[in-house]
Amino acid sequence: MSAILEVKDLWKSYYIGKIQVPALRGVSFDVKKGEFLAIFGPSGSGKSTLLHLMGGLDRPDQGEILIDGANLQKLHDNELAELRLRKIGFVFQFFNLLPKLTALRNVELPLTVAGLSEKETLEKAREMLKLMGLEARVDHKPSELSGGEQQRVAMARALINDPKIVLADEPTGNLDTKTGWELVELMRKLNREKGQTFVMITHDPHIADTADRVIHLRDGLIEGIQEASRRNVQ
Amino acid sequence: MRLTRIFAMAWENMKQRRVRTTLTTLGVVIGITAIISLASLGEGFRIDIKERMQSGFELDNLTVIPGSLFAGLSLDRFTDEKVQEISNVTGVKMATGVMQLGNVTLYNGNKEPVQAFVATAVNFTEFMQIFPDRFVFENEAPWQYTNDTIIIGYKVNHPNENITEPFAVANDTIDLTFGIPQKTPFPHMEYLNHTFTVGGTLQKRGTPGITNFDYWIFIPLETARTIFNSSEYDLIFAKVYNSEDSEQIAKDIEALFPPFKITILVPLTFIKQVDNILTVIQVFLMAIASISLLVAGIGIMNIMTVSVMERTREIGILKAIGTKSRTILSIFLAEAVLVGLLGGFIGIFTGYGLSFGLAQVLSSLIQPQQGTVLQNPERQNMSISPVFSPQWTAIAFVFAIVVCIIFGLYPARKASKLNPVEALRYE
Repeated sequence: MSAILEVKDLWKSYYIGKIQVPALRGVSFDVKKGEFLAIFGPSGSGKSTLLHLMGGLDRPDQGEILIDGANLQKLHDNELAELRLRKIGFVFQFFNLLPKLTALRNVELPLTVAGLSEKETLEKAREMLKLMGLEARVDHKPSELSGGEQQRVAMARALINDPKIVLADEPTGNLDTKTGWELVELMRKLNREKGQTFVMITHDPHIADTADRVIHLRDGLIEGIQEASRRNVQ
Repeated sequence: MRLTRIFAMAWENMKQRRVRTTLTTLGVVIGITAIISLASLGEGFRIDIKERMQSGFELDNLTVIPGSLFAGLSLDRFTDEKVQEISNVTGVKMATGVMQLGNVTLYNGNKEPVQAFVATAVNFTEFMQIFPDRFVFENEAPWQYTNDTIIIGYKVNHPNENITEPFAVANDTIDLTFGIPQKTPFPHMEYLNHTFTVGGTLQKRGTPGITNFDYWIFIPLETARTIFNSSEYDLIFAKVYNSEDSEQIAKDIEALFPPFKITILVPLTFIKQVDNILTVIQVFLMAIASISLLVAGIGIMNIMTVSVMERTREIGILKAIGTKSRTILSIFLAEAVLVGLLGGFIGIFTGYGLSFGLAQVLSSLIQPQQGTVLQNPERQNMSISPVFSPQWTAIAFVFAIVVCIIFGLYPARKASKLNPVEALRYE
């Protein structure tokens, strides 16, 4: 399988006042097309920083990220935005839906940004929500939906532009255990049936164990990479 | 992202914050209302004054007087040759000279004598052709004048308007006493008496331009020449074919005389200058009104800046899903434009509404000016009517949008420059 995402010697630091706090210290790995990868680590290990860098939301101090052959460091802000629009889908812990918009309008947003006509965007968004089992909730606003439903709307939004890779930042972190597992099962189903590549950040070892591969991150360094074949993953 | 969707999104955002949108728009409405009402009232006022002056001033009449403001008044007088030369200038229909005879006293039998401050000697035939609107008699006059015919202006004939009986009527015999200043052997006045027959009395006409015939009396030129042993004129009236050419004709007449020897009163020039002054005043008033629009602009900036802060997370989400910075800038600017469009549109209507209300109030406050008014008695009452000016309306409308864009630019740029990671973390 070819790599859809390559991370090479990634460094990133933050400053708290004048004190430099390293978040990533030379991280390298790749994600294969159709893979379901989990990045596992405790709080403060640099997981979210890594995900933001992979998604082109932030820029590293050093190192390279290639998505579908495009070197993110060489792209301007507008080109990065275009890349996020066309090739990356995001799912966040706190859903990050626009509260004033209905589920349908939230899902169609990336298509609207891409310049499609309203007719097309609504049609596709409706289909995607149906795929997520939310056809009865299309006209509900996020505040009228349960946590699991909101996260499925967020998943629909992430997938609407048919991205090369979906980056999920603690997607189950704000859900109860049962709903969290349902969401993971949905992601795995999409991964298996549609070949959708996922990178999921989690600090829950049970959730991480569902992935094809788990990257263990600690203090900004890769502690180890665990293949599914060495575990008994169902 | 399509422009229509950008505006649709901006409109949705505005609808979701109704109170804020209403208050922001209200600022623009007030600004545009002020501009439009002052513009339309000012335009109405300017056009009213211009029309009054055009109907009052005889635009096709030039008055030539000796001397100039630069070189002082001149004692020079005009000869028949000069009158003839002026008549020959291209565009001049006719010219006639007027002798001014100073202060005279009129006696009509036992009646209280009256004074006329301006006694003039004119060629009646020519004068009637030059001033057909002003040389109108109170009663039908038997227009056969002789050497002892006198025409009396309205105010001379009605020195006290409360007394209905006129001083004289047609065919009355009038004794006239001329005061003639003498320099030798010492400065003194000599008085000369002459008897005239009233040929007619003039209707009230007020002051069209610079001469008020109400206070004048007229005797035949030939008679004055005999009495005063002079054939020179104190001023010349020239009638032109087309008033639009009057400024050029005045220049041509000036060229007939040495520099600074004469002054020509050109009503058109005067009207143009007054019109220019009124336009400047109008623009000045609108500039003051524009300040309120600028204040509205600051309000827009303030509210939009707060809005950007509140919507930081939303901006972060938009950026995360791939919205370009310039699209975010466009969404916020579209909101500013919509506020400008909405405020400008409403402001135009309220502006014209207010201007009609103000016009009523102002018109009722202005008292009619008796005695100083012009040819049309029905225009005695000053009434200001606002005038719809498409030009000023368009300028005000565009100004509203431009102000909104300018003041919306800072918060919109601020929104577009937000770091997506920080924006997503914003609580």
